[in-house]
Amino acid sequence: MNKFQYFQRARGAYESVPIPDGLEDRVREGIRQGREARTRRRRRQIQRWTGLAACFALLLAGLNLSPAVAHAAARVPVLGPLFQVLTVVSFDKSEDGVNYSVDVPAVEAEGTLAQTVNEVIQSRVDQHMEKARQDWQDYRDAFFATGGTEEAWADRTMDLSVDYEIKSQSDTQVSFVVTMTEGWVTSFEERYCYNLDLTEDRPITLQDLLGEDWVRISNDAIRRQIEESRDEDGFTYFFAPEEGGFTTVDEDTAFYIREDGVPVAVFPRYAIAAGAAGFPEFPLA
Amino acid sequence: MPTTTDHSLESFLIENQTRFYRLAYSYLKHPEDAMDAVQTAVCRAVERQGSLRNPGALRSWFYHILVNTCLDVLRQRGRTLPLSEWEEIGQEDPPPEDEALLRQIDELPTAVATVIRLRFFEELSLKEIAAATGTNVNTVKSRLYAGLKKLRIAMEGENIL
Repeated sequence: MNKFQYFQRARGAYESVPIPDGLEDRVREGIRQGREARTRRRRRQIQRWTGLAACFALLLAGLNLSPAVAHAAARVPVLGPLFQVLTVVSFDKSEDGVNYSVDVPAVEAEGTLAQTVNEVIQSRVDQHMEKARQDWQDYRDAFFATGGTEEAWADRTMDLSVDYEIKSQSDTQVSFVVTMTEGWVTSFEERYCYNLDLTEDRPITLQDLLGEDWVRISNDAIRRQIEESRDEDGFTYFFAPEEGGFTTVDEDTAFYIREDGVPVAVFPRYAIAAGAAGFPEFPLA
Repeated sequence: MPTTTDHSLESFLIENQTRFYRLAYSYLKHPEDAMDAVQTAVCRAVERQGSLRNPGALRSWFYHILVNTCLDVLRQRGRTLPLSEWEEIGQEDPPPEDEALLRQIDELPTAVATVIRLRFFEELSLKEIAAATGTNVNTVKSRLYAGLKKLRIAMEGENIL
């Protein structure tokens, strides 16, 4: 008799446990509660980012952390004479169950804009690192307070990363996206877009790129692409406007600038579409 | 608005509800607590479906949530059996059968019992069990072997993997 056969007999006993009548109702109630909680969560995320300064549009709720340690200045010059984007903090390490992978950028240039942006980036990174550390500590405390063992705890880890990507650059302008993630029982991701004109010493706006009519141009492009996303059954991941879907762009709409100069609007996960759509992006051309 | 993802998750939850209930019951031994645990796990899964990156991993992802929910209840009751108490479990009993075997599984350290249930009753692969328990395949294997040994099942010449 092999082990599956052996366990088959015990499995018969396992599966003979009677199923209570109310089970299906409880499952459906759980689904309903989960949907509600998910909607509340989405609203919170949207509220959070509408409050932000126009040029630093927050792209999604999540967290990250940074020990004020490791200053590995990898000087990676990105651009010409006017400025460069550098990795000012870089480290990979595992400590207390947290796996860090952190690369924090900063802009080196004359003028107050670069300094302001650097301060914003650093404070966001610090804030997220601190929050994630606190989440992890709270989880750990609750775990042991409720009888969790060291052995079981040792299996648990959290992944934290901060990274950035330069989307485009010229002698005077740069567009980059900073991504922060936290992954453990669930995962969070946050993206911030920065579009800077270092000659003018100010952030670049959609109006700069698309002209006075930028709202209509952007909305037309986005609505067209949402329609094009429908499959043969008419299905799309995007929500209808009256169901919390896309309505209009505004000064807080996050975007980056592609190599060919086309701005690309980016929306947080869940903001206008189901989670499966990820962070929806729309070239505004 | 319903989406394909919502539909597949929700139909998965409804179609497999009896499996979830039995697994929860195997931990909690109490119908109302087991139903509570299933409802809580379902709610969490629907709320956090965005964290399911690979739809192919739906089963192990949901079992992860469900097992953790049950373990939380056990911890509140102060009743998980830690691995350190491993050696104290009856070693010289005759090989158990049927319900006796079930009871003996219940007596195993919780982490070991979880692997046995998921492997033999829920038929998850070792990789799926690793994902569902937040561990790696080697840990799953060692718990599985240790559990089988404790249950006094002969290892010789049989491929349990």
